[in-house]
Amino acid sequence: MSKSQATGCPECDGRLRTNSSETVCASCGLVVAADHIDHGPEWRSFADDDTNPERTGAPLTRSRHDRGLSTEIGRSSRIKGRKRRRLARMRRQHNRARISSKRERNQVYAFTEIRRLTGALSLPDRVRDHACSLLRSAQNENLLRGRSLEGFSSACVYAACRVAGVSRTVDEVLAVSRATENEHGAAYDALNRDLGLPVGPISPTEYVPRFASELDLASSVERRARELAAESHDSGLAAGRNPSGVAAACLYTAARELDVKLTQKEAADVAGVTPVTLRSTYYDLRD
Amino acid sequence: MNREDRRSISRQYFSDERLAEHHFRSFNAFLGRGMQEVVDEKETIDTDIGDKEGEEPVYVELGDVRVVTPRVREADGSEELLYPQEARLRNITYSAPVFMEMSIVRGGEEEEEVVVDSTETKVGRMPIMVGSERCNISGFDHDELVEIGEDPVDPGGYFIVNGSERVLMTSEDLAPNKILAEYDTKYGDEIQVAKTFSQRRGYRALVLCERGRDGLLEVSFPSVSGSVNFVTLVRALGLESDEEIVHRVSDDPEIVKFMLENLEEADVQTTEEAIETLGKRVASGQGKNYQLKRANYVIDRYLLPHLHEEGVEEEEVRINKAFYLCRMAEACFELALQRREADDKDHYANKRLKVSGDLMKDLFRTALNKLARDVKYQLERANMRNRNLTVNTVVRSDVLTERLEHPIATGNWVGGRSGVSQLVDRTDYMGVLSHLRRLRSPLSRSQPHFEARDLHATQWGRICPSETPEGPNCGLVKNFAQAMELSQNVEDEQALKRELASMGVEGMPGLEGVEPTTADD
Repeated sequence: MSKSQATGCPECDGRLRTNSSETVCASCGLVVAADHIDHGPEWRSFADDDTNPERTGAPLTRSRHDRGLSTEIGRSSRIKGRKRRRLARMRRQHNRARISSKRERNQVYAFTEIRRLTGALSLPDRVRDHACSLLRSAQNENLLRGRSLEGFSSACVYAACRVAGVSRTVDEVLAVSRATENEHGAAYDALNRDLGLPVGPISPTEYVPRFASELDLASSVERRARELAAESHDSGLAAGRNPSGVAAACLYTAARELDVKLTQKEAADVAGVTPVTLRSTYYDLRD
Repeated sequence: MNREDRRSISRQYFSDERLAEHHFRSFNAFLGRGMQEVVDEKETIDTDIGDKEGEEPVYVELGDVRVVTPRVREADGSEELLYPQEARLRNITYSAPVFMEMSIVRGGEEEEEVVVDSTETKVGRMPIMVGSERCNISGFDHDELVEIGEDPVDPGGYFIVNGSERVLMTSEDLAPNKILAEYDTKYGDEIQVAKTFSQRRGYRALVLCERGRDGLLEVSFPSVSGSVNFVTLVRALGLESDEEIVHRVSDDPEIVKFMLENLEEADVQTTEEAIETLGKRVASGQGKNYQLKRANYVIDRYLLPHLHEEGVEEEEVRINKAFYLCRMAEACFELALQRREADDKDHYANKRLKVSGDLMKDLFRTALNKLARDVKYQLERANMRNRNLTVNTVVRSDVLTERLEHPIATGNWVGGRSGVSQLVDRTDYMGVLSHLRRLRSPLSRSQPHFEARDLHATQWGRICPSETPEGPNCGLVKNFAQAMELSQNVEDEQALKRELASMGVEGMPGLEGVEPTTADD
């Protein structure tokens, strides 16, 4: 708003009156200032205002190489001919300029790969973001040299899952990954050694809900299996055993207890272990 | 009919199931056949692999598409059925996984074609309309609905995206593939124009046939700037002799006179010449071979695309296009001779409604194209890095999901339309009902458009005569009448045509016993 409001009308020195949209001289009618700011209701929801102070733009994200701060040259059907061709050239140059180094290019590729993996495994966004920042730190530590990007992408996703307490088995990750088992292993070892991942042994409880829903078991079975898994974890029964085998055994035991039909083979197949592994844990659980 | 009967019929029309019936029917048709149609249109995803020396080309074949019912994947990896109320409370999307059969095929150049990998893979998630046939609550009775926390009298017919309920506004468009004759002014003179919005597979092209002040006919269509002489274009399409052109337009002596004027002015006599002339227009300054190629491409691609049909030869399609243009010319002349009146754009016979299923089909088409581009990129990338090509590792399921959810969440539809999806009006129960049965005209609300806002006689029984907002949207936003029935397009056009042919309709393209005449709707 202009200063003239305090001084009076610039033409006749009359008194100024301001209503919601403009400042008018009360005596001569001169419009001194028109308010271009719309004081009307803002056309958006204020539901999340106290949690999210942002007003515009996409949020910053660690899962993009430029943290989501990229710009793009848009398209318009109104621009024709020479100008259109010029814009197309500019767009091409702009896209090329987005990636400045080999390092960044690798990052873009790995991040796309991580996105694909987390999408295929239906992992939440925070796991994806964590996987991406793991990759970023790995790159800063020069761990990627001589190891494959695909391996690192899948290892980062695997590690992020473990850290977040929603472990996936290596086989599950490898099933959707482009990496071979060796590449994945090498990358995960490097991550674990040099970044010191805060991971302990996997608790079989993390596997139980997923296996239960894959086997289409009732929630009562799942609940009992979870109890068994927690017990076995606490009592040290699970120590030194394959956690997915323990999870399968817990499900099998729970199903037996509740008289639900489930064969050892079915349970073992979902967990990717042999029925023999399952059986040995089952005997211990029963005792 | 006595009063009691009338009353019970009226009550039936206003029962729960009928209120959002048009949304359900449209969306169910989309799930049932629309999605598969879109996938079949796409058919394959081609890649640039194989452009290099000694490399075999690779492409992806798309097969059956399948949608299950909505479910949610928790962080721990377990998957459960999702009910609408849970989606609302947890601010998640009420959507179902979409699976598609895909096979990667390599070869065809020197080696034989081999299927490298073929599986049904999850390609993304499709938001599901509450109450539609793929909704988890469909078929539930009153008690079951209460049990899962759903309002038993809720009409459904909307989507839940990120916890907010969004309804897709029905939009009222001008009927495609129909000749509309009307007057227009050009440089202060009144001229006659025949218009057709030709639509096929989501591609929409406006074809105009104008009769100028000097009585000469000109046609304009996309990809050609300005307009092309009518006779030139018709000759390019293979309708060569003067006699045939005149005969195809009309046998009316006055119209024949007009037509002869046009033919006298024509600068080309043969099809070859005509295509050359057209080539100069569409690719001026280019080599001659390219000009011819381009002219043929433009004719087949951009001119009256709706005349392309399954089972009709390219040759025949061209001549059909010529006949269609002649019909448009006839409409212009008839209008000039005052044999007919200008078509009424506000007549409800000239309107089509785009309901949620049609809108979702548009959306799914662009989303699938985006997915295809991503698959192509991922395949090329994987191939370049010498990885095994498997279906599971080249499909990014969030591409499709994102493209489907974002427009519904924001209302910014494909093709630059905005406000297509709206937050369901939950002010009160009546508000919801009214909102689900609302329709919107795409005309700008900042312009007067007096005729479009007026109540038209043909709206009787279809559109409520009184329910419309005050202010700028007055008459552009309408509401369905209580007993409105919305008919759907035919499932199998070919079968309909065969049926019509068996009843004695002659000259339909693509059917036996062809004596070609123009295909009209």
